[in-house]
Amino acid sequence: MLKSMSVVREAIDADVGDEPDGAMAESEARQAASGRKVLPIVEGLVLLAALIAPLVLQDYLTVFATRVIILALFALSFDLVWGYAGIMSFGQALFFGSAGYGVALLARDLDITNIFLVLPAGTIIGLTFALLLGGFLLLGRHPSSVIFVALGTLTGSYAADRLARGWYYLGGQNGIPSISPMTLGSYEFSEGPVFYYLTLGILVVAYLLCRFLVRSQFGLALAGLRENEQRIAFFGYKAQHLKAIVFAVGGTIAGLAGSLYAFHEGFVWPNMVGVVVSTQVVLYVLFGGSGTLIGAVIGTVIIEGVSFWLSDNYRDIWPIILGVLLLFVILFRPLGLISFVLGERERVGSFGAKPKETEKEKRNAAS
Amino acid sequence: MANAFVAAFEILSFGAIIVLIVLGLGIIASMMGIFNFAQGEFVLLGAYITYLAYSHGLPIWAGMVAAPFLVGALGFALEGLIIRRFYAAPIVAMLGTYALGLIIRESVRGLIGGFYLTVPEPIGGSIDIGTMHISTWRFIIIVITLLVMGACYLLLSRTSFGLRVRATLENPALARASGISTPLIYGVTFAFGAALAGLAGALIVPVFSLFADLGIRFLIQGFVAVMVGGVGSFIGPVAGAGVIGTLSAALPWVMAPVIADVLVFVLAIAFIKFRPQGLIAGKGV
Repeated sequence: MLKSMSVVREAIDADVGDEPDGAMAESEARQAASGRKVLPIVEGLVLLAALIAPLVLQDYLTVFATRVIILALFALSFDLVWGYAGIMSFGQALFFGSAGYGVALLARDLDITNIFLVLPAGTIIGLTFALLLGGFLLLGRHPSSVIFVALGTLTGSYAADRLARGWYYLGGQNGIPSISPMTLGSYEFSEGPVFYYLTLGILVVAYLLCRFLVRSQFGLALAGLRENEQRIAFFGYKAQHLKAIVFAVGGTIAGLAGSLYAFHEGFVWPNMVGVVVSTQVVLYVLFGGSGTLIGAVIGTVIIEGVSFWLSDNYRDIWPIILGVLLLFVILFRPLGLISFVLGERERVGSFGAKPKETEKEKRNAAS
Repeated sequence: MANAFVAAFEILSFGAIIVLIVLGLGIIASMMGIFNFAQGEFVLLGAYITYLAYSHGLPIWAGMVAAPFLVGALGFALEGLIIRRFYAAPIVAMLGTYALGLIIRESVRGLIGGFYLTVPEPIGGSIDIGTMHISTWRFIIIVITLLVMGACYLLLSRTSFGLRVRATLENPALARASGISTPLIYGVTFAFGAALAGLAGALIVPVFSLFADLGIRFLIQGFVAVMVGGVGSFIGPVAGAGVIGTLSAALPWVMAPVIADVLVFVLAIAFIKFRPQGLIAGKGV
């Protein structure tokens, strides 16, 4: 097992090293020269900004910032699935929205709003749907094509949207309005700083868990999967199982985000499970930089922030600008905004416990 | 009896509309290996051009004739400028065409606002058979769909252009070596697929009226139809569209529309899972 890991590591090193990109080589050289890592600095700055935000923002902006944090958690789930496992989940909102609907029904019909019941419930709903859909799309005798998985998830999300619109029990077009707030004993979580720090705490925990996951030996296998699935399969890994596991983890996080969103906004509506939100999360992650967890968070903050800022004057043309920006990112910066500061080598990163210095690294260090 | 006949006509007419929309999508997916997310917006543009012609006092049929040419020209330009860079990676192509579609859709939304704009049928009225009435325009759509389908088939299977397109699909390197300009063929094929979408949009706008999400409504159904039919041939997607269109129109007659709506997608995805090559496997026409 360990031996094969080091083979994978070298294979990835080789793949990364092959990419002749001027800008990246330059920033890598800068990093190598200073011997510093950029990623922890970026992460620290983002966390710091998030921590002090409610202190400097007005109340209505804190409410907005809470929404952004929840969406960032959702973006994290998509980044894990697409950026790390290479599964284009065009229907991530299915898990987000179904968890939202689930907790909304709990609150409406059973009067359950305790935070220790509703958040796990939403998380489990997300996990269940992800296991069902992921298991169906990804597992099986023949590996599914990427196109099939992308269109399958998209179709699942679209079908759920249609179902939510047409089913009277789920409120039809209007969704479920005025969900009672989440509670802890007699305390009610209403919009504001407390809710903000609650979601921020959850985001940080989820982020650290994801970071641990993608930097572990499991993450190394995922990186290999993304770079060259066939090679990983030849090493004896069950590539489909790895993908299904990540897909399920992604669905779990999306479910958690969805249940927070439902209680924060106080209502759920069909768009939340549908194609609109599914594609929105793709925009966040591509824009910020897929394959780096912090990229997903930064992308969400920038897109939501600018969209909020422009909403007074330029609401109509903002989606057009967004489309143009997205096109530019895809054409010229496929690794997103984060790639301006983050080198390719650091993006791929190192995995598991620090290995003993190999011959190759000694040579590198010497030169 | 009369009821059954009307139902059959409704199902046939909806099936024809789906086939018409999927034709362009299927040609681009099969011949170029790209799932074009902007295809729904090409449909929307076709509809919009028809509406423009109508609102400026021109005859509606003039807009309908112009729509495929204008949308085709736009498709050719977009292929040359942008789509061309995506051929290597199918997922990136999806995202890129999605971005294009977003730009087109939101531009049109900005132009027409959030309204539903109606365009009258160029040939109104109904055909009476005994006591039954069927809409003339829907009947004409069926006829045009059959004609376009036949023309596409002949174009791809019988002409030298079709031969070049198929050669480029089967083996691009060999096609280039044989003196076929594959970039030009890709450009023309994409433009042709876009033009078919424009025509579809122009023809269906009197039935569905014009709104910004007109294209999105059909896009996912179209993708599912292409997958069900089988990517790689011309006949495959058309057959898939026939099946999906007929099912979506027929099931609501026997069960609650909400369930029927979702059931079609579930059945389709399950079918593709267990038969990934689709109804009609293999490349070619």
